[in-house]
Amino acid sequence: MLARLWWIVHKDLTCEWRTRRAWPAMLLLGLVVAMVFSLGTDLPADQKRQVLGSLLWLAIFFAGMIAMDRSFAAEREEGCWDGLVLYPVSPAAIYLAKLAANALALAALEAVIIPVFAVLAGVSLAGSPWALVLVAVLGNLGIAALGTLVSALGAGLRHGAATLTVLALPLATPVVIAAAEATRLASEGSLDASWARWVQLLAAFAVIFVTAGAVLFEYVIEE
Amino acid sequence: MDGHAKNRFPTAALAAALAGALVAGLMATAILAIFLLAPTEETMGDVQRILYVHVAAAWCGLASFLVAAAGGALYLVRRDLGWDHWAQAAGELSWLGCGLTLVTGSLWARAAWGVWWTWDPRLTSTFVLWTIASAYLFVRSGVEDPHRRARAGAVLAVLGALDVPLVVVAARWFRGVHPAAPEMDPRMRLVLLVSVVAFSALFATLVAHRRGLLRLQARLDAWEAAADQRQAAQGGATPPRPDPLQRRHHHEKELPWVRS
Repeated sequence: MLARLWWIVHKDLTCEWRTRRAWPAMLLLGLVVAMVFSLGTDLPADQKRQVLGSLLWLAIFFAGMIAMDRSFAAEREEGCWDGLVLYPVSPAAIYLAKLAANALALAALEAVIIPVFAVLAGVSLAGSPWALVLVAVLGNLGIAALGTLVSALGAGLRHGAATLTVLALPLATPVVIAAAEATRLASEGSLDASWARWVQLLAAFAVIFVTAGAVLFEYVIEE
Repeated sequence: MDGHAKNRFPTAALAAALAGALVAGLMATAILAIFLLAPTEETMGDVQRILYVHVAAAWCGLASFLVAAAGGALYLVRRDLGWDHWAQAAGELSWLGCGLTLVTGSLWARAAWGVWWTWDPRLTSTFVLWTIASAYLFVRSGVEDPHRRARAGAVLAVLGALDVPLVVVAARWFRGVHPAAPEMDPRMRLVLLVSVVAFSALFATLVAHRRGLLRLQARLDAWEAAADQRQAAQGGATPPRPDPLQRRHHHEKELPWVRS
């Protein structure tokens, strides 16, 4: 079965590589947000560090939702949706495969955008890289899990799909806030009990959203 | 139309009237208790009485959202649109309950802390729940087909219900300014209980009434669709439907300030 899931991930990545539909827009949005943040806020370095976390994760969320939304919309347009639904694997497994593909997209986004934010905000990331990686991975999972489910739901509705993307933000708020706070604390170098609390909350919601997504996906993709 | 509804109508109306009277009585008791029975708090004075409405509204908002999520989940399992009516009714009242919580809390905050709002964990998570309820209603209003709407609503409600435990736990887990569980005079505790019971009864009857309206609307739509189908089968044109909003189409001449 893993081989079948791998084929779904492979299909997504290959399609994206050949058509370059979603990833460039995603990366561009992330960079534009980084640029506006840097140009627009003329704050001293320590105050910039305060806002760095929230703006970074908001940029990742919106850019990521663009990529996930476009990939599902494209699938529907090309008629691949029916093929996916008919694929001889359980819907939960399809969800996990889609989640893996989206998580890879978000990882690519984070790999580009986190260093850019760090440079523009004048924050050194060398202090606690593993902490930052942990937060990035968990936040990635949480946003990808929610985004995959919500984008699939939006693709299934003929109307109002674009608004659905924006309306996913309140649902993602626990993940975004927890990731933002954990990033801020990690960039300041204070990996104490409160940082651990935020990471626990982040991990809990990542697990909860992946589970909820796997359970609900079959209801989302049915006609 | 089935004859069952006609036969049940007097009993249903009587039950609704009795429920309404009971709720009115409970709410009157609660209001009297809040102003006459509850002692005046020593630091805040009479403003503290907002607490009785604020806590009750918060409880109702959270409980209604859980009912909406349960209704959605039951729809997904049973595929009966009746469950979706309960879910939508409860969702609307959850929006109201959370909104009331935010407003009453805001009034209290102004008196107690000097600010209308602060990004305390419990306030933030309640505000997030309110926006999720708004998103739920907004998305539902955009979908025409009842089954698609029910499915989309159910998924959103179940996802949103994940925020409810966060609202409850946030005040204890993350230290903020929102009071967690203060020591209360026994009379205050009693009035709080009365208020919560009264508001719960109010919200429950409102949900039941709203659900009844949705059920009637669904029946009307089904009847109209069947009538249209019969007309189409007989080859006739469908008659124009009366406009329930009685929209009047103004001509410029009727407007006094327009020179014709």
